Amino acid sequence: MRALAWIPPMSRLSPEALIRLLVLLAGVALLVVGLLFPLFAMLVKSVQDRSGDFIGIANFVQYFQTPALVNSIANSIRVALTTTVIVVGLAFLCAYGITRTCMPGKRLFRMLAILPILAPSLLPAISLVYLFGNQGFLRDVLMGETIYGPIGIVLGMSFWIFPHALMLLITALTHSDARLYEVADALGTPKWRTFLTITLPGVRYGLISCLFVVFTLAITDFGVPKIIGGQFSVLATDVYRQVVGQQNFQMGAVVSVILLLPAVISFMVDRWIQRRQVAQLSARAVPWQPTPSPLRDGLFALLCYGVAGVILLVIGTAMYASLVQFWPYNLTLTLQHYTFQGLGGGGWGAWFNSLKLAFSVALIGTLVIFFNAWLIEKSEGYRPLRQGLHLMAMLPMAVPGMVLGLAYIFFFNQAGNPFNWLYGTMAILVLNTLVHFYTVCHLTSVTALKQLDPEFEAVGASLKVPFWTTFRRVTLPVSLPAVLDISVYLFVNAMTTVSAVVFLYNSDTRLASVAVLHLDEAGYFASAAAMAVLIFLTSLVVKLLHAALTHVLLNNAQRWRQAG
Amino acid sequence: MPPTLTSPLSASAAATPHATTTHLSIDGVTKRFGSFTALDNIALEIQEGEFVCFLGPSGCGKTTLLRMIAGLTRQSAGTLIQRGKDISTLPPQARDFGIVFQSYALFPNLTVFDNVAYGLRNRRVARADIHARVAELLALVDLSGSEAKYPAALSGGQQQRVALARALAMEPGLLLLDEPLSALDARVRGHLRSQIKALQARLGVTTIMVTHDQEEALTMADRIVVMNHGVIEQVGTPAEIYHQPASAFVASFIGTMNFLDVTAAANHQVQLGNTVCDCLPHTFAKGRPAQLAIRPEAVALTRQPGALVGEVTGIEFLGAFQRVSLRIAGTEQRVLADVPSRDSAMLSLKLGQVVGLHLPGDAARLYPAGSCQS
Repeated sequence: MRALAWIPPMSRLSPEALIRLLVLLAGVALLVVGLLFPLFAMLVKSVQDRSGDFIGIANFVQYFQTPALVNSIANSIRVALTTTVIVVGLAFLCAYGITRTCMPGKRLFRMLAILPILAPSLLPAISLVYLFGNQGFLRDVLMGETIYGPIGIVLGMSFWIFPHALMLLITALTHSDARLYEVADALGTPKWRTFLTITLPGVRYGLISCLFVVFTLAITDFGVPKIIGGQFSVLATDVYRQVVGQQNFQMGAVVSVILLLPAVISFMVDRWIQRRQVAQLSARAVPWQPTPSPLRDGLFALLCYGVAGVILLVIGTAMYASLVQFWPYNLTLTLQHYTFQGLGGGGWGAWFNSLKLAFSVALIGTLVIFFNAWLIEKSEGYRPLRQGLHLMAMLPMAVPGMVLGLAYIFFFNQAGNPFNWLYGTMAILVLNTLVHFYTVCHLTSVTALKQLDPEFEAVGASLKVPFWTTFRRVTLPVSLPAVLDISVYLFVNAMTTVSAVVFLYNSDTRLASVAVLHLDEAGYFASAAAMAVLIFLTSLVVKLLHAALTHVLLNNAQRWRQAG
Repeated sequence: MPPTLTSPLSASAAATPHATTTHLSIDGVTKRFGSFTALDNIALEIQEGEFVCFLGPSGCGKTTLLRMIAGLTRQSAGTLIQRGKDISTLPPQARDFGIVFQSYALFPNLTVFDNVAYGLRNRRVARADIHARVAELLALVDLSGSEAKYPAALSGGQQQRVALARALAMEPGLLLLDEPLSALDARVRGHLRSQIKALQARLGVTTIMVTHDQEEALTMADRIVVMNHGVIEQVGTPAEIYHQPASAFVASFIGTMNFLDVTAAANHQVQLGNTVCDCLPHTFAKGRPAQLAIRPEAVALTRQPGALVGEVTGIEFLGAFQRVSLRIAGTEQRVLADVPSRDSAMLSLKLGQVVGLHLPGDAARLYPAGSCQS
């Protein structure tokens, strides 16, 4: 055990240091079992045949010789690129409107623009079918083209990914230095040149980062193409079809490995950019304030509210469709689709399961992720362990949900695996969801912790107070806004995710998002819409509660945050 | 009336304690970060009740040494003994010290009272005793009545005084101050400087302060430990450090110093250009190149040119004195001379004027050549 030589002998450790070490090891074990082992099992599976013998790259050769499969690569890339251009373009204009103009109603627009995140990606797909499908009232807008295919996929994804891009670009555009603009004005620079030489370079890292995030989300999304893709297959749906449809786990693993590539590449590019972005803006920068300009402000308001209108239309359509008897022939209102009676898919039971999952993930995940981040950021010693934990915490970002879900099957369903008992339980869904959304929460925690004075722990120790007391009395309360953000992020994602869990539920742990999928497959479109709306409303209520709670807490905390 | 932090200083406040028992003894302490040696074989004894300053440029290892004494950084080698007890491997919780950081590190979500009582509460001290102790500590730092305030409502100087009260709450045997005044503006800094020193003298608590500000070290410390590149250059009282610097580094780091390139002559003489000057006795072999160090205030200017002659190349008015730059005739070397205002009137110096230069031998020390660029 040479690798453990840097850990001092247990006998010399104080009880406190021992507890710290054990918790750290537990954190590492969680991600090793919940992430590394499954991924490894999946890589192994991709080079085995059905009987489990090693066959090298034969599976990959077979994959590339099957046109039906290889076509999906081009399809996926095409769809993802188109989505990226549309989403980033629109999001940039809207973010510019919010940060750099005096358009009215910014807060309202921001609230409306965030709505798509609260719905599963299945919801826009369902709405699009109602709007542009064979019975859709806007079918003619497509001029003979079908919504079932690339057009539908791009539209659905654009709706669902837009808020992610908007938030990233608002952040990028918010950081501006007024002094640069004043100098440009003083030198008589035309507006378009100021934009090209100051605004764009200032946001270039945020913009590139946003491009890659959007591309990754688009190429790995499963919900939209599953519902509206028709015969048009993409990588994510191929994984599902190979595994669930044809029980061909080896080929599923191969497609997963291929799906992993773009995600890993964009992950690496993003990390590279993040590193360069450090200290772009000095602490002395003066934030830029827009001045009113009626024409510009009006145009941006028009654009933003156009976008908001589309968002409301899509969500409203799903709601309306879930409330009418039989679209489009009998439009009398009814709640019967919300009873889910006599239909497969789990109905309200599935919704309760989702609620249970979302609350468990929000509670356990927040504590585990924040505490792990604290161990990484704020403790001395065990450097290799802490760095290893940090690296593993960054990895889930690069692993698409489909891939993680499939990897879990391979690992936890193995005969002889000591964790086999987890398979088919709620616990594995919690673990999977926690790991799936680990990275963003980890980064949020780290950012919050970095803002704290680095000496809190040292002061606590000098006053003979154990580290957990300082964590409870100081670190946690001071970081509360970030902690609440993490918990609501986890809740909403656990509520809406479908890609990873679609492989892992069983009849007792069926989830609402999976139910949407199954109701749609079975042709109960109105009930599928009803379930999707139910998920959306649940997320919305929790989000509103979170906003209210944050407001109250921050109000209370004002006493110490600002001089009183 | 109990003494408080801002009450006038008594004459005894600055008196040096004459305790002779060793509080902390550091032996062979080394700290390596990879291939970089931050501290190299440090040995130091700190007496009971002493106020010691670690002084040096940034990166000299002074903060590392302080954190090592606190147990916040673990040494690569060496031992630390506090009051006869080997603390080398103890975690911070098990050591006996209070610490104040440059950033104050007050807990922002806790009131002044809760900050000061933070360690007491954990010790299960009775509530009434905690109240009494906190009140006493806040009176000591002259912040009575601020119990219910939050740190954000206090000025920087007040926050640092709360941090001081918090560090003293547990009655530590050793008080560690990590650049406690660096984040404050100049006026508050000067004020708090003398008050901390007074408080320390009253309480008699052994104190180690890290600073890069020589003025701070000279005014506050009983003894100064001058550090550079991970080694101790000199340990001594402020007067010793200033008047008898043990190395060219110490000479250049503390105050202003002229360095002149010379050649060693007889054992208390050097040759500067064509002139032979006196200096303190040295052991350099005759003919060896060396550096002569002399403070500007020791350099005397005369109207009558003597053995050494200089041409005035610049005059800076600094209130109480004038700082005159001169070029020494016959060499291209430059020297600074501080001339008190009342003498300068007599000399009525002008640019380009040629004056006599006198370098008193008892103020001139010799260091190896090339050890300092002035």
